Amino acid sequence: MGENIFTELYNRVLSLFGQNESKEENAKDVACNRLRVVLMQDRTNLTPELLQRMRKELVELLSKYVEMDKEALELNFEQEGEQMALMLSIPVLRAKEESEIEAALKAEDEVDEDDENESEEEVEETEEQSSEDDDSEEKVSEDEDSKEEADSPDNDNETTEPENSEEQQ
Amino acid sequence: MTGRVIVITSGKGGVGKTTTNANIGTALARAGNKVVMIDTDLGLRNLDLLLGLENRIVYTIVDVVEERCKLKQALVKDKKNPNLCLLAAAQTRDKTAVTEEQLKDICDKLKEDFDFILVDCPAGIEQGFQNAVAGATEAIVVTTPEMSAVRDADRIIGLLEAKEEIKSYKLLLNRVRPNLIKSNDMMSVEDVVEILSAELIGIIPEDTGIITSTNKGEPIVNDEKSLAGMAYRNVAQRIMGNDVPFLNLEEDNNIISKVKKFFSNLVGKEK
Repeated sequence: MGENIFTELYNRVLSLFGQNESKEENAKDVACNRLRVVLMQDRTNLTPELLQRMRKELVELLSKYVEMDKEALELNFEQEGEQMALMLSIPVLRAKEESEIEAALKAEDEVDEDDENESEEEVEETEEQSSEDDDSEEKVSEDEDSKEEADSPDNDNETTEPENSEEQQ
Repeated sequence: MTGRVIVITSGKGGVGKTTTNANIGTALARAGNKVVMIDTDLGLRNLDLLLGLENRIVYTIVDVVEERCKLKQALVKDKKNPNLCLLAAAQTRDKTAVTEEQLKDICDKLKEDFDFILVDCPAGIEQGFQNAVAGATEAIVVTTPEMSAVRDADRIIGLLEAKEEIKSYKLLLNRVRPNLIKSNDMMSVEDVVEILSAELIGIIPEDTGIITSTNKGEPIVNDEKSLAGMAYRNVAQRIMGNDVPFLNLEEDNNIISKVKKFFSNLVGKEK
């Protein structure tokens, strides 16, 4: 109780000199956030462009099933010991009607029917090539690896995270 | 005797690798261990200066490798502690003068006579780093709560994890400034540990005493009153396997916080 009074007083005096702790964003948080982003890029070999692309593709994919706040999508790599997890948090605006989802999927199937076989072949090709020691191919496969790794925690989050973010809102 | 070979590394320069090496080495020797420090920073040696041994160096690690002297002849004994030795780097040669194999060989030989072999690693992630790490099975990654130092530490940790010989690595957070952490101007110990997700072996507060101790060639662990010295002695204890709690750096000398503490104590007593 006494502690609180004095802390409050202390903060008020400080705020008079423009040093209030509750200013917008402090240097420590800025440093932590910038560092997390930079390390995410360092650890995954994903350039900002690739991250942007991954984000875009994820939004496209998920939009088929739920209507969400595309701008507020948060993408984070978290290191837990030796394991790296991709954390995805998206505020869900509205659950889609079953018919809407089906329509979206149907439309896609029609477009993809021809492409699908081709793209599958392509993936196999790059995997084969990556076993050879070639720099450019290695990059492609690494990027794919990190996406694959990201897949499982990503799926978990889709079910849990949106609920949380809805509550926050 | 089979000694432990610990490499002290950081990636970034200027975060306190050599200071850490000199102090941990001295603290381990003070605790009764036989310790040898190897300076692998060929061409930019400094460990001799921090220990005040710059005038006693006759032979260097390059002389050993090129067989101009025996390994034992090149070990320089510390002024105060007979348990402590230095194998100095050559100042006139570059990183290619010693290979990974040769360094590993030297470490293996020293293991027979010493409890601890501390390898002072040069900054960077090139050959100098590869050489220094070659003989080691443990690593201490030195960093400070600054973005560039933490980023480089993350890179080093990635490289260490890829090395099979390195069985464990620990984080030493240097130049911590409790006042700046308190005012949210600097990343806290917890922030850095969380971001790097590495085990902590020491928290060393920023201490102007380090400057004077370096100038005198006298490691700060020999100063019983210094907080940084105590923190380094604690690190040595943890390396030896003793469970020592981390220093509470919160109790800073900020006048406002002292006044605050005085009042809150006063209120507490009245209740």
